[in-house]
Amino acid sequence: MAEAKTFELAVVTPEAAVLDTEATFVALPAHDGEIGILRDRAPLVVKLDVGLLRAETAAGAIRLYVDGGFAEMVGNRLTVLTEDARDPAALDRGAAERRLAEARAMTAGDEAAHAAREKALRRARVQLKLTAG
Amino acid sequence: MANRRVLVKRRKATRNIRKITRTMQLIATARFQAAFQRAMASKPYTAKLERLIEGLARAATGLEHPLMKVREDVPREALLVVTSDRGLCGGYNANVLRQVAEHLDGRAAEGVETAVTMVGKKGTSYFKYRNRPLAEVVRGIGDTPRFEQVEPVANGLMAAFGSGEIAALHVAYMKFLSAGKQTPVVERILPLSYEPAAGEAPAGEVLYEFSPGPAELLGELLPAAVRVRLFQAFTDAAVSEQVARMVAMKAATDAAEDMIKRLTMQYNRARQTQVTMELLDIVGGANALA
Repeated sequence: MAEAKTFELAVVTPEAAVLDTEATFVALPAHDGEIGILRDRAPLVVKLDVGLLRAETAAGAIRLYVDGGFAEMVGNRLTVLTEDARDPAALDRGAAERRLAEARAMTAGDEAAHAAREKALRRARVQLKLTAG
Repeated sequence: MANRRVLVKRRKATRNIRKITRTMQLIATARFQAAFQRAMASKPYTAKLERLIEGLARAATGLEHPLMKVREDVPREALLVVTSDRGLCGGYNANVLRQVAEHLDGRAAEGVETAVTMVGKKGTSYFKYRNRPLAEVVRGIGDTPRFEQVEPVANGLMAAFGSGEIAALHVAYMKFLSAGKQTPVVERILPLSYEPAAGEAPAGEVLYEFSPGPAELLGELLPAAVRVRLFQAFTDAAVSEQVARMVAMKAATDAAEDMIKRLTMQYNRARQTQVTMELLDIVGGANALA
C-alpha cells in the first residue's frame, strides 16, 4: 500500500478525550448533511448535527455517536467538540424510546420551546435508528 | 483506681477515631485523584471552545447575541451556589457560603433581587437555618458531577436569562487553583462578554470556511460555552471538596495522635502514682510492725 494519507482526529467532550487517533477518512454528521474529510482539507469550522461519525483508521473503521457540537479542521488536525460521544452499541434503545415519547409530549408554546422539542425529537430518532439492529 | 480505667477507655476511643479519620483521609486522597483527572479531562474541550469563539468573534464583527445582552432595567439576578452533600471537610462549605452571603448582601444593597439556585445538602440546610429563600434546589449531583446532570441546570438558567427574567447569572464555588490552594469565588457567567480582540488579527491567522456563517455558529457556540463553564465550576468544586476533606481529616488524625500521646502519658503517670502509693502503704505497714 502506498503511504497512507492520514491526518489527526480528536474527539473531545466536556468529560473526556474520547478519541485521539490517525485517520485516513472521516465522515461527519454536519448540520446540513454528511461531510467527508480527507487529508489536506482547507480549514473549516462546521456545526454538527446529532448523528454518526465514521472514521477510517489503520486499526479499522470507527463508528461514534455524537450529540451535535462542532468540528474544526485545521493543519491536518480534525477536532470534534461534542457534549456527548459514545459507541453506538452503548446507546440504550429503551431509553431512546422513552425519550422519543417524552419529546412527543413536549409542548411547543413559543419558538424556543419548539426548537427544544425538535431537537429532542431528532436526538431520540437518531438514537433509535442507531440502535435498530 | 477508677481514674486509670477512664484513661484507658478514652485512649481506646481516641484510637478508634484516629482509625476512622485516617481511613477517611485515604479515601479522600483516592477520590481527589479521580476528581482531579475528571477536572483535567474537561480542559481540552473548554480550551478549544474558547479559541473557536475568539476566532469567530473576530470574523463576525458587530457581534450580538441574546446571551451577551446587558440589561440595566431588570433588578433581578440569579446565583448558582455549589456546595457539598457531605460534611467533615473543614471550612469548605462555610467559606463558599460566606462569599455567597457577602455577594447577596452586596446585591441587595444595590436593590437587586437575587434568586439562588442551590446545589448540595450543606448549602441547602444552611439557607434553611438562616431563613434565606432558595429559588431552586438541585439534588443528586454528588461528588462526581456528570455533564448530563449539569446541562439541564445550565439550560434552565440560560432560558431565564434569555427571556429577560434575570439580568445576570453568577456562580459561587470553591475554585481549585492547585492542590495547596483553593479560593471561594463568585464568578459572573452571564451576560457573556467577549472583547473582540482590538487591532490586527494575530499573525498566522487561519482563514476558515464557516458552515453555517460565523454569526450563526457563534449563536450555537455561546450556549455551549456557558454550559461548559458551569460544568467546570462543578468539577472544580468536586476537586476542592476532596482536597478540603483530605486536609481536615489529616488534621483530625494528627490531633487524635497528640491526644493519644497525652492520654498515654497521663495513664503512665497515674499508674506510677498508684504503684508508689501501694509501696508506701506496704513499707509503712512493715515499719509499724517492726
